[in-house]
Amino acid sequence: MKAQLRPGAREAIFAQLIEAGRAEQVARRLTDAIILGVLTPGERLPSEQELARRFGVALITVREGLVILRDAGLVETRRGRGGGSFVIKADAPHGTLLEARLHGLAQVELSDLGVYFSTIAEGCAERAALRASAADAERLGAWLLHADFTSTAGARTNAGGFYLELAVLSQSARLVREQIRLQAEFGPLLLLGLGDPGTREQVVRLNGEVAAAITHGDGTAARTLVADQVLLLGEWLLIMKARIERGGHLDDAIVDDA
Amino acid sequence: MTPSSTTPETTSHPLRTPGPTGEATAASCAAEVGEIFARVFGILSEWREAIAGASADRADLDELVESLVVPALLASAESPTDLASATTESILIGAGFIAAPQYVTGRDTHFAWWLGPLASNPLLGNTSGASRLDLATRVHTEYLRDFRDLEWYAVPESTNQTHVTGPYVDQLCTCDFIITLTMPVRLDERMIGVVGADVYVKRLEQVLLPHFLALSGPVVLINQVGRVVISTEPTLPAGDILPNRRHPLNNYELLPCPGTPFLVATRAEHDPVSN
Repeated sequence: MKAQLRPGAREAIFAQLIEAGRAEQVARRLTDAIILGVLTPGERLPSEQELARRFGVALITVREGLVILRDAGLVETRRGRGGGSFVIKADAPHGTLLEARLHGLAQVELSDLGVYFSTIAEGCAERAALRASAADAERLGAWLLHADFTSTAGARTNAGGFYLELAVLSQSARLVREQIRLQAEFGPLLLLGLGDPGTREQVVRLNGEVAAAITHGDGTAARTLVADQVLLLGEWLLIMKARIERGGHLDDAIVDDA
Repeated sequence: MTPSSTTPETTSHPLRTPGPTGEATAASCAAEVGEIFARVFGILSEWREAIAGASADRADLDELVESLVVPALLASAESPTDLASATTESILIGAGFIAAPQYVTGRDTHFAWWLGPLASNPLLGNTSGASRLDLATRVHTEYLRDFRDLEWYAVPESTNQTHVTGPYVDQLCTCDFIITLTMPVRLDERMIGVVGADVYVKRLEQVLLPHFLALSGPVVLINQVGRVVISTEPTLPAGDILPNRRHPLNNYELLPCPGTPFLVATRAEHDPVSN
């Protein structure tokens, strides 16, 4: 599942934690890193002492955090020489990681995530339409023409790439950084719906329309089209959340890379 | 938009406020821009010679490039170089050599690229020294497919000329607003890569703004497509394009900055003297 992941700097995962509920935060940070592929299947986590030092928390807090991860089936602990906590292997049942993530986030958090991502992406698109030069718009169109959206993995990489390009065309360094950060944090979740071929087709159609709006300098249209697209992806998040909470699993077609 | 045919003589302004280097005019601003970029081009061409004359062994090449570019990135008040003469920090935020595929044995496009200190980059963290670009930490650029399609590589490759890309927000190295200068490196008939330097617009602004503010009317530095680099016109900020709905081109006089694709735009109506 590596292909569709866009982790940010590895260092950010281990930056110090500052607030209450630290064991949960340790678990969440490591869960994110595992889901994002920053920590890879089978990889040994840093030692408990090292994690405590890097997160700036007590050893006991790290241990509590690791218990949460074990219970979620994300890490396994091996004793003895060469032991430690290991990220579960890639051959673990499909969707385990994303299911853990979806289970961990409330509906209200998921829909709020959609609102926030949409607001950033809409702003990027509107600015891009107002600020892109003719050559910029042409480059975007040319890139889009050859971007693969036929496979799930390709669609996730390129859908993320398209949002990042919109940020680049907005000429705002802050928006570019925020887009990269958001994708590193939530990309695999947000782009979950791209496992569905019908959704991929709609996303491709909307991408083309966004690019046309940018070519014509129509900021309002670009904004509306991007909002429609994120709405589509956000709906999938809630559908999947409900499925998991009913005791079901993510459809294999949704998480399958092929 | 093409560079205006207006000559420096017809747009030279009478002295209003003394600039940092004496009389400030649109022409003196354009000259200053030209001099700053000429210095960077000079450095690039020195690097190019050194790299073209060196071995293609990866370790040797990396060591050579590091020894060339890091001092230019770390230029400071304590260790001044030409680049830092007007400021306390280097205007360069990244520099290096990007080798064409197959030039460095057993490699695709090979990046020997260093970043200057990134004091407060919320995404990439703080670095106090120069650090090498590690593409493994830039997985978000995977969608780009092939770096050779990007303007800073593709244009020097096809034209065999030095090229200026931007200003633009770079999502690969700095995640900031920069201008990239790249120069093809050739070995006989073959391009073995490009040497390049990223000019940090915020530091270029620190150098140029005093010159621009010395003029009473707006001064806007734009590239060949009209993208604003630095501006003293609040309604035409960096990143905007001149002309736009609010700023028609006929309100501005354009003066090319020698040796660069940049132009200094000054507002015609603010000039009380018509030549």
